[in-house]
Amino acid sequence: MNGVKKVSFPSFTHYNYAFKYFMENGVGARYIMPPQMTLRTLDRGTKASPDYVCTPFKTTLGSMMDCLEAGADTIFMSMGLCRLGYYGELQEQILRDMGYQFDFVNLSEYSTGKRRDYIKALKRLNPRMSVAKMMLVLAETVKLVEQLDEAEAMYYKNCGFEKVKGSCKTAIKRYHTAVETATTGRELEAAYKKFKKEFNDIELDKPENPLKVGVVGEFLTAQDAFSNLDVEQKLADMGVEVYRYLNATSRMFHYKGKNLQVETSEYCKYDMGPTSTINIWAAKNYASHSFDGIVHIKSAGCTPEIDIMPVLHNISEDYKIPVLYLTYDSQTSDTGLATRLEAFYDMISMRKKVL
Amino acid sequence: MKEAYLGIDIGSISTKGVIIDEDNNILASSYIWTEGNPLGSAKKLLGILEEQFDKETYQIVATGTTGSARNLVGAMVGATMVKNEITAHAIGTTTLYPDVRTILEIGGQDSKIILVENGVAIDYAMNTLCAAGTGSFLSSQAKRLGVEVEEFGDIALKSTHPTQIAARCTVFAESDLVHKIQMGHPKEDIIAGLCKAVVSNYLNNVGKGKKILSPVVFQGGVSKNIGVTAAFKEALGCDIIVDENGHLMGAFGVAILAGRSSKRKVFDFSVEDMEFKTRDTNCGRCPNNCEIICVYRDGVLIDSWGNRCDRGAIKIGTKLAN
Repeated sequence: MNGVKKVSFPSFTHYNYAFKYFMENGVGARYIMPPQMTLRTLDRGTKASPDYVCTPFKTTLGSMMDCLEAGADTIFMSMGLCRLGYYGELQEQILRDMGYQFDFVNLSEYSTGKRRDYIKALKRLNPRMSVAKMMLVLAETVKLVEQLDEAEAMYYKNCGFEKVKGSCKTAIKRYHTAVETATTGRELEAAYKKFKKEFNDIELDKPENPLKVGVVGEFLTAQDAFSNLDVEQKLADMGVEVYRYLNATSRMFHYKGKNLQVETSEYCKYDMGPTSTINIWAAKNYASHSFDGIVHIKSAGCTPEIDIMPVLHNISEDYKIPVLYLTYDSQTSDTGLATRLEAFYDMISMRKKVL
Repeated sequence: MKEAYLGIDIGSISTKGVIIDEDNNILASSYIWTEGNPLGSAKKLLGILEEQFDKETYQIVATGTTGSARNLVGAMVGATMVKNEITAHAIGTTTLYPDVRTILEIGGQDSKIILVENGVAIDYAMNTLCAAGTGSFLSSQAKRLGVEVEEFGDIALKSTHPTQIAARCTVFAESDLVHKIQMGHPKEDIIAGLCKAVVSNYLNNVGKGKKILSPVVFQGGVSKNIGVTAAFKEALGCDIIVDENGHLMGAFGVAILAGRSSKRKVFDFSVEDMEFKTRDTNCGRCPNNCEIICVYRDGVLIDSWGNRCDRGAIKIGTKLAN
């Protein structure tokens, strides 16, 4: 195929399904699904990375190597509003120095905000891409991301209370498989409908007033189960409803930054980085809806998230809600995490009984 | 025969054990060094406890373990309750001091703060990534100064002008300390300065942003150091309660938890004579290569952990191949 690339985007929770749908059906390129991240991914990524860089840099770099070995000839990398904006350039250089041969489409180089520049980037993946078709599929992809996020939210809210262990996981896995193989918008809709029906039929054993925990934090580490050592699943398994407002839907497609800022103006005057306003808003929202606790997740050295910690202290004090701060780096022992989570759970459950 | 509960707290530095009766009275207790061998020290601990324990009137019906080796020793003694040390400390302290508001805890490798309201923990923090200002720092500096860490407190109280020592990080603190020694500061001032450094490090790291309200209970191994207690008193401007059994609080708490739970399993001291072995293997069934720890009792697998999925599950009861 003339100039059609085999493209890949580093592994990032369930969004690779959306990337695949968009690249294959909209752009007309081939998409190589990034292999699931493992300790090897992280190890290799860490070894090739500068020491003090944030952890997502290491995981995405490791994942890029996995993708290239899985057969991709082009890596697509996102832009970003923090250091993420510089990831692509440095990662490309590191990979080239290691001897990999590939094309690198770095969206940061095209982020002028003008549509024609983004189209230029995509045309590198398939020179004969139809813009009209791409725009149509883009709309479907946005819808798909919303549905993926919604499915995930339903999952973490309920999976801790299923009667038959593993039934929620089976349902969401089946949905992801259906999405991965879908080629039309109609198939996506059908898959989502089927998932919703299947999921709502799962028998739950939920108390009337279950423990509720809200998750806030850095965009990648908070969302990606591999990066946060499955913290949401661990919490849910203890019998907790886990909520996370932060996802691609609410941060990218339906983001109302100005309004969120107005609603949190008693805590901070300015926007402090890519996800600070949304996290502060979400934390305040959880607190005022009498959640039992907040978990704040960040990778070591993430400046925007360090900046919001004092604000979370204030929210914690004003609303009397405990906040658990978790910092991740490339260490993967989950003993320390388990100790802190267990203690957090014990605390919020005993507290709920007394108050 | 009356019921009794056993609690064991196996920390990185020390191993603590208590046996309590139904009214939370301590029947037997011991505190020994772990010396890098949690299974061995747990056995030794059980031996000491057995000597103090009145087997005629009491029977141990529930066993709890806590501390960083809680899973390992829990598997060894067949614990009915395996709990993290934060909860265990909170339960132990609030049982003895129902109106406590703040629990400060400094152990060998970790330090934590627990805030309590109405007898229930409402917030906690634990040190991450850094062991500055914990017991192991103090004992390594004691070695440098040529004094026993147990004498630290008494020497510190003699000082009238504690030396200023950078407290942010152990590495900086150590080089600052060496510098001050070479400048000719008297030993007692340096030791008092170290105690102060531990306190300010604790308050700036673990205690950051936490409202410390009185009554304050200070526990963990470092609470035995009256120099540190005095420095806390000065920094917080309130009285500090140090219980004589403060170092046993984790074991005490987990014994109470074991007693409260409905799980019952009679414990006898025969485990002292059994042979326990741990082995680690790498799963190898995917590139994740989970490290799986297996515990064998007399050559038979009794527990394993570390696997992240079912593929790595190991059958309990498998014989140790040699």
